[in-house]
Amino acid sequence: MDRDAVKGKSLARYKQERDWFSLLYQATKLLPGEEGRLQEKLLTILLDSKEKVVDCVENEKPFVAGYFCNAPELFHAMDLPWYMLMETPFLAASAPYLLSDIEGAESMGIGTDLCTAIRLPIYYIENGLMPVPTAVLGLLYPCDGAPMLHQVIEHNKAWKNVPIYCCDPPYTSDERAVEYFADELRRMADFLQQHTGKTLDMEKLVKVCEESNRSYALWQEYNELRRSVPCPHGWALGGPQAFAISQCFVAGDPRCTSWFQQLLRCGELRIREGKGASEKEGWKERIRLFWFDIMPYGWIFELMPWLEDEWGAVIVMDMFANFPYTLIDTSSEKTIFHDLAKRNLLDAPMIRQARGTAQNFSSDIRRIVKDYRIDCVIWPGHMGHKDGAATVGIMRETCRELAVPFLHIGLDLFDRRYASPPEVRDKVSQYFSGMGLG
Amino acid sequence: METEIRSEAFRKFAEAAAGIMNPELRSWKEEGRGVVGFFCSTVPEELFIAAGLLPFRMRGTGSTSTELSDAYFSPINCSFPRHAFNQALRGEYDFLDGLVCINSCDHVRRIYDNWIRALKTPFVQVMSLPRKVGEPQIDWYTDELKILRGQLEEHFGVRLTDERIREAIQLQNRIRGLQKQLYLLRKAERPPITGAETLAVMVAGTAMPKQRYQELLTELLAELEGRRGSRDYRARLMILGGELDDPAYLEIIEQQGGLIVTDSSCFGSRLMWRPVDEAEPDPIRALARYYVRDRPSCPRMYGDQPRRIAFTREMAREFRVEGIIGERLLFCDQWVVENYMTGLDLEEDGIPFLALDREYVLSGEGQLRTRIQAFLEQLEAREG
Repeated sequence: MDRDAVKGKSLARYKQERDWFSLLYQATKLLPGEEGRLQEKLLTILLDSKEKVVDCVENEKPFVAGYFCNAPELFHAMDLPWYMLMETPFLAASAPYLLSDIEGAESMGIGTDLCTAIRLPIYYIENGLMPVPTAVLGLLYPCDGAPMLHQVIEHNKAWKNVPIYCCDPPYTSDERAVEYFADELRRMADFLQQHTGKTLDMEKLVKVCEESNRSYALWQEYNELRRSVPCPHGWALGGPQAFAISQCFVAGDPRCTSWFQQLLRCGELRIREGKGASEKEGWKERIRLFWFDIMPYGWIFELMPWLEDEWGAVIVMDMFANFPYTLIDTSSEKTIFHDLAKRNLLDAPMIRQARGTAQNFSSDIRRIVKDYRIDCVIWPGHMGHKDGAATVGIMRETCRELAVPFLHIGLDLFDRRYASPPEVRDKVSQYFSGMGLG
Repeated sequence: METEIRSEAFRKFAEAAAGIMNPELRSWKEEGRGVVGFFCSTVPEELFIAAGLLPFRMRGTGSTSTELSDAYFSPINCSFPRHAFNQALRGEYDFLDGLVCINSCDHVRRIYDNWIRALKTPFVQVMSLPRKVGEPQIDWYTDELKILRGQLEEHFGVRLTDERIREAIQLQNRIRGLQKQLYLLRKAERPPITGAETLAVMVAGTAMPKQRYQELLTELLAELEGRRGSRDYRARLMILGGELDDPAYLEIIEQQGGLIVTDSSCFGSRLMWRPVDEAEPDPIRALARYYVRDRPSCPRMYGDQPRRIAFTREMAREFRVEGIIGERLLFCDQWVVENYMTGLDLEEDGIPFLALDREYVLSGEGQLRTRIQAFLEQLEAREG
């Protein structure tokens, strides 16, 4: 497929997603209360980022395809619109075609045991369903799939001449590793300047970083609220949205800070009113869960509401929600790059846990269980998270030491055929019953 | 393994490849000398050799189950680390004085984490190998090697001077040269050694004292000189893949008439096709450059796919390969995508390609035979 054909096809798919969110946005306007306004604001930001990409593709303006956790503050400061290479399967807009896309990937001969979050972007690239950007920014962790996805990009004929730069996070987490990664980010910034015609204005970068500091500080403050019993919000509001809004669609943007302020107000209000995650009559928080991974976005509505309704089980914390992010010292270029490296290498979800040794799997469980009065830890065991799968013994042992039950489910975040929602619900029910929870 | 090679050297190689412990290794241990295990061919054996230690490439050979390691790993993990770690939990690696792991892949890298929690090996380290092949990555890996050198010196009480490292590089390069000679013999119309036999020789090179291996390999080469193997094969094949240390797997392919004449695998040509640069003034940097960039890479090295496919094409041409088999251990995210790209590239070249998934421990032999037979028929049909 040549570049022009890809342009038309990918744009049609991209607009389809945008329009779906546009419809959703209209619907959220009808939602009552502060939570409704939060969703509305989130969708405004998401839609705006999609509109920008559409505009760039249609009018041949520079934009990038990025990965997660590669310091989006840098390309935001360069006024470069971006989309995240693997965002589609995580978006509810993909629901109508998710299964047929997965089947499409299977028919290409890519193994069904390859992480679906990697398989799908490969399918989109190979089938012209992803807009070809001016440049690609990749990241070579947290898993083996990441470098393979980026190599498929380089291999694809329509993408062949698109310049690509991939940051290479080291396996270690000491100061030497942070310095190395800071240099990788510097090289990434040089690459962007060279290939997009944009310049990195340090004053602008300082402003963006300061804004992102404000956002992250508010996020942390909000996370303190989630320690409350009952937890003011459940699975539907908090970590994943916070991650999306601070890393995936914008970074260091005043709208993002404003969203966090509203989130915080919202949480405080609920705590003052003694409200928990659900407003349903007679509902009570009975189990406080630590969901130690991504939520199953392909069929999220068939599990998460059920957890709250059936078992009073609230996801108080999840992998994407909490590790206090390093605040950037903006006093010099050196400190900015250093702290961006630290934030993206040591704090950002998945890169923090899955990139290096298993130490953080264990220490995060210890911290979260203690800080958030967790009753049980669930490792969903997404089929793509092979390093985590090889860490289950360590996670189980950690939970045993903490005297907190641990459940390893084994599912696919997107493909309901791998472990069906009823099967997962049944497994969780048996576990809760067996452990005397709820 | 079935073989027509009647040499004593080959018998020793086959014996070493068939298990974990072998007589040469046992003698070494009985002399009170140290052995350091390592996972992945990107760990520089030269540093262990320079420290007077025997580098032992970790395998799960002989394992029949994963009953102990299943408490640490999951069913979606590659069977190689599960079997190898099971062997360790059963005590079969108790002879190790140390172990060096590396972030080679998502499955194998977790052996380090589980090992330090479950076993009492006195010296266990993990190295950080970059995923790119540029100068900053060579710098990084140079530092990693310097750190490892310091750790080895401190723990084993040896001095790892540049001179000793240079000598180790020279020894390893001589071995690489001999192994390459062995491979080159397979260019012949009637290669004197099969693919399965070659793999046994290569595996043995990671499991016995290097000097002794060099002597035995020299002996074997002399014996193979002038020997003519069978012409009774249906096609000349090449194997692509990662962790393949079981000659029996190749034996099954060869029993169907597909003679393996070369490979790009991590117990095969990628170990030795190119030497470490002996002219580089800093031997540590020479090693870093070799392991990060100069040797033929595996898919974990980002941005190197064009060089990998070029290497495959070059090998296929030089060895007059008629078909290529990409073997991959189940659940490997690296090789599944690599094989996908390789398949597309080879299709353009008109070279038939068969992608096979397998478990680490040989299984599904009937299915394997059927697929190989079908592939060979496809090749024969092309010849018309």
